[in-house]
Amino acid sequence: MNTAVIQDMLQQHKKRMKLNLAACAGCSLCAESCFLFELHDHDPRYMPSFKVLNSLGKLYRTHGRSTQEQLQGMAEIVWRTCVLCGRCYCPFGIDIPNMIALARDILRAQGIAGVYPHSIGEPDDAQGE
Amino acid sequence: MYDSMLDSIYSFARGPMLWAAVLILCAGTVYRIYELYLLTSRKKKRLLPASAAKVSLSPEEQTLDRLARFQQSAFAVHPVMFIVSILFHICLFAAPLLALGHSLEIYRSWGITPPSLPEPLIDGMTVIVLLCGIFFLMRRLVLPRVQAISTLADYVLLACVMAPFLTGFFAYHHIFDYKTVITLHLLAGNILLIVLPFSKIGHMVYFFFVRLFIGSEFGPARGSREWKP
Repeated sequence: MNTAVIQDMLQQHKKRMKLNLAACAGCSLCAESCFLFELHDHDPRYMPSFKVLNSLGKLYRTHGRSTQEQLQGMAEIVWRTCVLCGRCYCPFGIDIPNMIALARDILRAQGIAGVYPHSIGEPDDAQGE
Repeated sequence: MYDSMLDSIYSFARGPMLWAAVLILCAGTVYRIYELYLLTSRKKKRLLPASAAKVSLSPEEQTLDRLARFQQSAFAVHPVMFIVSILFHICLFAAPLLALGHSLEIYRSWGITPPSLPEPLIDGMTVIVLLCGIFFLMRRLVLPRVQAISTLADYVLLACVMAPFLTGFFAYHHIFDYKTVITLHLLAGNILLIVLPFSKIGHMVYFFFVRLFIGSEFGPARGSREWKP
């Protein structure tokens, strides 16, 4: 794990991403725009805002100083609970897919990549059931 | 002892603190807009002419299109939240800007009389803001989807927004000691003005740009600037 690389990547997009994170009013109106949220009985973990705040948001809050387990947890969020279809909608105009994509980039740079459960014949256990 | 201390806090909140709060609000808002402007760039040339995006629909298709758009709108998906939000925001702005007490204060200071609404109407608007505040608080406490993304800051900000209205309501109806309540009202109002541009309530500034941006991206009037990649 290389914290300096994470910090460098966060710094490159800091102004825009910080603005996006600050603008999120936590209204949860983005929820219905995610088809996975609808498919998983309105599980809050599939809400676009939840995914962003608990991946990229956490990276900015901790200034990139996250543990390997925390990064793995973020990988679960940005790959297993999001397919990056780009259809999520924020009434405040926050570009949610762009933020998820950056979180994925940062994780990839740390050697963490997502494995889609369906692609290897595993059941989708993201619901934790 | 208490009275003299209250007097000095009242004078401070009505004088230098109010000036500082208004200046911070204005400077913070201008800074936010400037920050937003820096994040934009000249729009790239379109690969296809704007006319290529136009699709001609038959009257039946137009009706279906309108119906589909309505079904996806915030009003159709969250009617209660939609109505409460609209009412809340209208009253949130109208009540303090058009309150008779505030107009009189401006008249006393500068000799100009801004427009004002009858006091019972402003009182009703204040009650609406407070009821909407309770709705937002309950939503945050009870709904799992809002709970999942709520932090302490969200509750503190809600308290910051509600405090001037609650103290204003108490002051108007002379509930509790008037001098204490009106001093708290001034302090709460000033704190809200200071916090406004630097917190999530800053969506007050972003809102208009977001509407213009979304309109320029998807509406008939195309914008001339876009976000930097």
